[in-house]
Amino acid sequence: MNLAVGAFLGLAVAVCWLGAAGFARLRAPLDRVHCVTFVNVAGGLALLVAAVLADGVSDRCLKILLVLVVNLVGGAVVSHMTGRAVTQRAGGA
Amino acid sequence: MSEWLWCVLALLPAFVVPVAAAWRGGTAGRLVAVQLASVLASFLLIALTFALDEPALIDLALCLALLGVPGTLLMTVFLERWL
Repeated sequence: MNLAVGAFLGLAVAVCWLGAAGFARLRAPLDRVHCVTFVNVAGGLALLVAAVLADGVSDRCLKILLVLVVNLVGGAVVSHMTGRAVTQRAGGA
Repeated sequence: MSEWLWCVLALLPAFVVPVAAAWRGGTAGRLVAVQLASVLASFLLIALTFALDEPALIDLALCLALLGVPGTLLMTVFLERWL
């Protein structure tokens, strides 16, 4: 079980590192939004699976699920609003 | 040292990147950097609650997620209209 937890934690860390590297590599704010979404979705799922494997179905895991759902739903809205604000600021439609 | 503590330590360099990006650059770039930093901070708090075996830390992550969305939305409105 510890091996599986470690594997999923390693996956989450790798996703976060990849997202951070992409964030540093990409320059435009609209491009960088993709990195945020990637980390949010892939990293969050890996972290949730690791937590469930370590803890079972517990209150703590349900709260983690709630955090991830809020991050996913809110992240979609925030990404859209950010893209809209950046586009309007740049003089687009 | 548990695998969760290793995870926390490994997430810290990834957390530094958006924090450094939020430190400088244009306003829009800073806003996106804050979004990524907020997501990574919630991951750090989730990993810390297991590493330190402190259940209260997960409530901090939940508060961060719940308050981060309207806060960032407010910032986008400011960015769109006034900044």
